[in-house]
Amino acid sequence: MLPSRQNDTLSKWFYRFMRWWMGRNFKEVNIQPFEPRPGHSILLLTNHFSWWDGFFANYAAFNNLKRRLFIMMQHDHFINHWYFKYLGAFSMKKGSREMLESLTYSANLLSNPENLVTIFPQGELCSNHITHIHIENGIERLIKQIKGPCQIVYQCTLVDYFESLKPRAYMHHFDCGLAGEIPFEELKQRINDFHEQALKNQVNMAH
Amino acid sequence: VGRNFHEVRLKHPVMTTDKAVLLLANHFSWWDGFLMYYVNHKLLGKKFHVMILEETIHQVSFFKYMGAFSVSKKSRDMMVSLNYAANLLNDPQNLVLIFPQGKLYSNFIDRVSFQKGLMKIIGGAQQNFGLLFATTFVENFKHKKPTATVYLKTITGNLAYKNIDELIAAYQQHYNSSKQLQTEIVL
Repeated sequence: MLPSRQNDTLSKWFYRFMRWWMGRNFKEVNIQPFEPRPGHSILLLTNHFSWWDGFFANYAAFNNLKRRLFIMMQHDHFINHWYFKYLGAFSMKKGSREMLESLTYSANLLSNPENLVTIFPQGELCSNHITHIHIENGIERLIKQIKGPCQIVYQCTLVDYFESLKPRAYMHHFDCGLAGEIPFEELKQRINDFHEQALKNQVNMAH
Repeated sequence: VGRNFHEVRLKHPVMTTDKAVLLLANHFSWWDGFLMYYVNHKLLGKKFHVMILEETIHQVSFFKYMGAFSVSKKSRDMMVSLNYAANLLNDPQNLVLIFPQGKLYSNFIDRVSFQKGLMKIIGGAQQNFGLLFATTFVENFKHKKPTATVYLKTITGNLAYKNIDELIAAYQQHYNSSKQLQTEIVL
């Protein structure tokens, strides 16, 4: 596993660049109102459907959730995009012993209430239109190892066009409870319920 | 379309082009008309006509040179528009695109609703056109720009749907199967 060498200044600059860049490529990045619990670190589980997902997570972490971003990346992507390690990325090799190391590393990060760890629990790129979110079992192991208070948040990002040329991204956040308090099976169920809820909200979105 | 999309994928059966075509599509974005124009250009090569709202045609006036004609909801003019569309279908060189939902919806809806005027067109035209269903989904996947996937289905044989509900059911079936295919894509 390769750890992150997160740097606050670089992250801040990157965030400014990224905000400009997303502004160019999206008509709107809309974060639905959500208030994170103060004094808790955040485990952000999000749906993985596009190239932009990491940026969405970064955007939400800075803008709305106000935490220091860390993000779990696949090992080969991490090697290709080495510079992301300065922005909070750390690597994960699926199906190897090193994976356990990555999970322990994430858990340690989450013991600090200023941190946020983004994970794509699906473990692969899926369509934005799916109705079932698959959660890999590693998440359970991760949650068990967290020591400090940690809130689990599910972020569902949906991309829609409506009348504009450029796409609009809508982020729906849901509070899934605290790590250690919620059983894994229930967490899976909740995430899928929330996903369904997000799809419903999206259909009724004013535009 | 080429600049703003990574790729437009067309999933279609064999097309026959000896008849006029009535193309019904889901309406979720500004791009739908362009994507359908592209479909026509690539596969059918017909004369393109599209029914759009009168407000839109006022805002974007050059559309009318590209085959757009207007419809204003809730007025007597609507009947004129519907008859006009029906007449267009009598010429086998034409393609008429209609967004039967009548307004913009999210790309994530599960059920498709149609406006009733559609039956007037189908009834008004003399049964010699082909019906074509199109369902479009837009996704990014691993690229910066989105990929639009258009699922097409031709309806052959008996076009005389007794009422709008049967037509909706037929479209819905196509919509669901397309969505199913779309969600099975895993990279």
